[in-house]
Amino acid sequence: MSDSAARVEGLRVSLVRDGVRSDVLRGIDLTVGRGEILGMVGESGSGKSVLALAMMGLLPVAADPQVDGTIRVGDVDMVHGSPEQLRAVRRNELGVIFQDPMTSLNPTMRVGAQITEATHDSAESIRLMSAVGIADAPLRFTVYPHELSGGLRQRIMAAIAVAGRPSLIIADEPTTALDVTVQAQVLDLLRELRDEFGCSVMLITHDLAVAAQIADRVAVMYAGRIAEIGATEEIIHRPTHPYTVGLLRSRLSLDTPRDRRLLTLRPETASAAERMKGCAYHSRCPLAVERCATEQPPLAPASQGDTAGTADTATEHLRACWRTVADVQGYTHETSDATPIASLARPGASADTTATPAAPAVRITDLTTVFALKGGGRRKRQVHALRGVDLTVAAGEAVSIVGESGSGKSTLLRVIAGLAPATTGRVELAGRGAQMVFQDAGSSLTPWLTVGDILRERLRPAKLDRAAASRRIGDALEAIGLPETVAALRPAQLSGGQRQRVALARATIIPPSVLLCDEPTSALDASLAASVLNLIRELRRSLDMTVLFVTHDLAVARLMGDRVVVMTEGTIVESGDADDVIHHPEHPYTRSLLASVPDIGVLS
Amino acid sequence: MSAAVPEVGSRRFRMPAATLGAHAGTRLSVVILVALGILTLVALFARVLTPYDPVQPIGALNLAPGSDGHPLGTDSIGRDILSRTLIGVQVSWFSSLVIVASGLVIGGIVGIAAGVFGGWLDALLMRFTDLFLALPGTLVAIAIVAALGYNLQNTLIGIAVVWWPYYARIIRGEVKSFAARPHVEAARVAGASRTRVVFRHIVPGVVPTAIVTASLDIGNVVLLLAGLSFLGLGQPAPAPELGADTARNLSQLLSEWWVPVIPGLAVLVLSLLSNLGGDAVRTLLARRR
Amino acid sequence: MFRFIVRRAGSAVVLMLVLSAIIFVLQAVSPGDPVKAYLGANASPEAIAAKREELGLNAPIYAQYLRFIANLLQGDLGQSFRTHRPVLTDLQSFLPATLELVIFSFLVAVLLGVLFAVSGSLRWKGGALFRGPLLVLAAAPPFLLALGGIVLFYAQLGWLPANGRGVDSSSPTGFVILDSILTGQPASIGLAFQHLLLPGVVLAIAPAIAIGRILRSSLDATMNADYVRTAESKGLTPFTVLRRHVVRNSIGPGLSMAGLQLGFMFAGVVVVEQIFSWPGIGNYLAGSIPVSDFPAIAGVTLVLGTVYIVTNAIVDILQVAADPRLAA
Repeated sequence: MSDSAARVEGLRVSLVRDGVRSDVLRGIDLTVGRGEILGMVGESGSGKSVLALAMMGLLPVAADPQVDGTIRVGDVDMVHGSPEQLRAVRRNELGVIFQDPMTSLNPTMRVGAQITEATHDSAESIRLMSAVGIADAPLRFTVYPHELSGGLRQRIMAAIAVAGRPSLIIADEPTTALDVTVQAQVLDLLRELRDEFGCSVMLITHDLAVAAQIADRVAVMYAGRIAEIGATEEIIHRPTHPYTVGLLRSRLSLDTPRDRRLLTLRPETASAAERMKGCAYHSRCPLAVERCATEQPPLAPASQGDTAGTADTATEHLRACWRTVADVQGYTHETSDATPIASLARPGASADTTATPAAPAVRITDLTTVFALKGGGRRKRQVHALRGVDLTVAAGEAVSIVGESGSGKSTLLRVIAGLAPATTGRVELAGRGAQMVFQDAGSSLTPWLTVGDILRERLRPAKLDRAAASRRIGDALEAIGLPETVAALRPAQLSGGQRQRVALARATIIPPSVLLCDEPTSALDASLAASVLNLIRELRRSLDMTVLFVTHDLAVARLMGDRVVVMTEGTIVESGDADDVIHHPEHPYTRSLLASVPDIGVLS
Repeated sequence: MSAAVPEVGSRRFRMPAATLGAHAGTRLSVVILVALGILTLVALFARVLTPYDPVQPIGALNLAPGSDGHPLGTDSIGRDILSRTLIGVQVSWFSSLVIVASGLVIGGIVGIAAGVFGGWLDALLMRFTDLFLALPGTLVAIAIVAALGYNLQNTLIGIAVVWWPYYARIIRGEVKSFAARPHVEAARVAGASRTRVVFRHIVPGVVPTAIVTASLDIGNVVLLLAGLSFLGLGQPAPAPELGADTARNLSQLLSEWWVPVIPGLAVLVLSLLSNLGGDAVRTLLARRR
Repeated sequence: MFRFIVRRAGSAVVLMLVLSAIIFVLQAVSPGDPVKAYLGANASPEAIAAKREELGLNAPIYAQYLRFIANLLQGDLGQSFRTHRPVLTDLQSFLPATLELVIFSFLVAVLLGVLFAVSGSLRWKGGALFRGPLLVLAAAPPFLLALGGIVLFYAQLGWLPANGRGVDSSSPTGFVILDSILTGQPASIGLAFQHLLLPGVVLAIAPAIAIGRILRSSLDATMNADYVRTAESKGLTPFTVLRRHVVRNSIGPGLSMAGLQLGFMFAGVVVVEQIFSWPGIGNYLAGSIPVSDFPAIAGVTLVLGTVYIVTNAIVDILQVAADPRLAA
């Protein structure tokens, strides 16, 4: 028995995707200690999920994986072992929790049977169900997955994962698909599993704060390599890699200054081939020197000098960067003052809205919306999405509406936009009406139309001639920071961030009175999200718009709204000045939401 | 359900393209479509290309293929098989195209109307469509032709009556799925009129599926037409028709096999080419996106 | 589940009513005159008028339809112009032969289809050598396959018979193989099987491909599903994963396609029976078409249509049984 649950050495993986082979993992060395929780953090495309699949020996055959290096779990090399050996390891040593609890369980098999496949004993299965916090385990033993909520399904996954007392549980974004409060429960559960069963946990996530919440150590991945790894405290408070620094600083917290531009990472400008030559981060790195573009930095101890000898590789702070730690940390302090947002806190003339009794931009009175769900047979279920909502938004005001899925926040926005019916109640909108920006920008743009076509459609009522319309489109694109040439492209040719910018251009090419934003950044990586949020705040001021911003993220809500409105079960439970609501919540529901927010501050 | 865009792990990998590789696949598809184009031209000018009158006896009886002046031989009353087959191909090919086109048009109208308007009209149209789909199409077609009388026009009517529901179902489903996509809501919020939403933001998305469905369906119609013709539900006696020419000469199978077999082989070529053509259209459209 | 069965049975009844209505309308517009068929072309005008009255042809159209339905329920499908016997009697004597052929052929089709799908999905070595030719054969008109089969296996190799059922079918149930087993005649089982082979396989090729293709794509989709990865992560053997997690979740589309194809086979059987002189309903229909024997054609359409409708209802019910999510 070694002191590690898993040991990865020199792991390289290349996969074929859409007919093109690419190197997804490019030399990973990693040890997961016994009883340790290791957080693997990276943006999409960093290769963290492929690492998880490789460790289980489940790389998709269809992608024709080529693997180099070794992955030792127990006594078996998951790269070179026989299929029988790998199966034995998966059965006895590994447990796994995947991202999407909706698709990770067999829909045609009772959940109890699915757990028992791993435990081989139904009494043990029921015991495990209770152990992972499922009430009425014997009753729930015989239900099908579609009869359970997302949180409960993820608990079923956890029960499967701990069956057979594995030495290592691999959790691949186990909380991403879940609401904040459920998210916190699942994280707690992972920690409990470690404490109770003594297993190690490898927690894969895109959110540094989620990892910081429960991990003993954190590894930051970038483009298939480890950029930095070390004790959680170290990584969060004394990061030594420019990428980690960037991630930490572009991350929003409940204390992010509201009147400053959010810090963002530079966008990627280098081609894939260029990135592979040196440090993959060099083209985005503010500290890059010549060497960074040509030579790959090795993963080396962060503490300079001779301490390497005393440090134990399992806990040592390692980094892959040519610049010295002092350089990186010096930079951190030097530029921590961000530029303030262009103009004032409130737009234009309405500096003191309380004094001016101007007509409100949005006035909602006693709004109810009831949907009829097609249920089984004749029993038509009714869902009360909104139950008597009153909301008045002053002209020029920005209001964030925050709540969990099913709170009615999106329905409210859709009713204002005219996309969903109001069963009773009234919605009044000022002058130029409302425009909306959707959660998934990619699918909110018609795929076969060019950006120019899409924008021109909004200009139709203006009856401009061709040249004038083109000029207007060019201006609108410029205003959102895209070159005019983008007008000739189709949405599929744009990146995620660019698509959300185009969606914003469509909404604002003729400035509406009210801009409705339905979680416009929740599908974007942190840094991209920050740049879109910056843009929305700037547009709000330059175009003098009222903004209604729906989000599940309290930090974003605080940042984007002068006022924050908290919704649950179709009603507004709290409303007030953004900082007041976040820092002095009154309603118990708001408090429970706040308590669930994974925050780096929790650590200190 | 899951909001975030996951990476590799749960996005699952697309199945690899054909073993021929990406470019060879495209090239092969183009070759197939060119072959189909040539076939259509041959069918179009069949009357000009036939060496002899297809219905008049012009040579010795039962000449084997490869005979002088009769590359595919002659039948039991001395008619040129090549000439008959060419005309048969013409009838078969254009009839199939007509049926598929009728399916696209009728099914398209019904499907778009049902999908766009929804509500009671959708319910009504789809009940009707499902009813037709649940009936045995071929048998109903046979009964219709039998009742109306045997000729090509009635055969086409009989098949067309049972052929459109399939298209209506598929097109309606596509319309519904496109109508539910965020870009349609986005267009509505952006102020696009209802007709504009339908014809600019929904229908163009349905077209590729409809075209692929139709092109993969031509082969089915070729076979069904040949089958009905074989049973005698086609043009009356002297007219050349692929299925009927096989049926009428069945008795020669063990003596002069080519007389019944050649028309059947022509059907095989037609249907095989159309199937490959359907795959080619699908490949090319998928690549274009 | 029970509710679903009741609902599905109800819709099957509606479908049969619609089918009968279509046949009724077609009968009304068809040029053949049933009265002359009964009485012969030389009947006196008085006799014709009397027969018209007797057959209810002077009644209003809805009354005629009700009468038509009532007759159907009593098994009266009219009289064949060609055989001058009640259509029902004809059908009764021909149906068993058709059922035997179609059922045998269906089993062959399912077997070939499953082989097609599994060999592709599991990437069996040499599977393409089996799938390629099958794909080409499936593009051929069934009559060409039949001719090819006869030339090769009957005329050239002399391995298989190509005509009829080989055994007198006036046996107790009309199902030759079943009868042979009941009466303990192993020799005639062999003979009957030999006769079934050629027409059965010819009829099976096209449905086999249809079933195989759809099954293949649903197998591929299921094997890529997240829950299959979950099952693999439990360390189950590939066979167990396949049996418990893949089969049940991918069987649905294959099942419904199989049902659809079984229905199609009752239409496709017409050509095959004619070529192989198989004494079944299809052959009866093929014989009725050239002489425009509409009552016979209508009768066959009704009977085979009913078989088709019932088959599809059963398949739907099986599908719901396989996937509890569909039972809403």
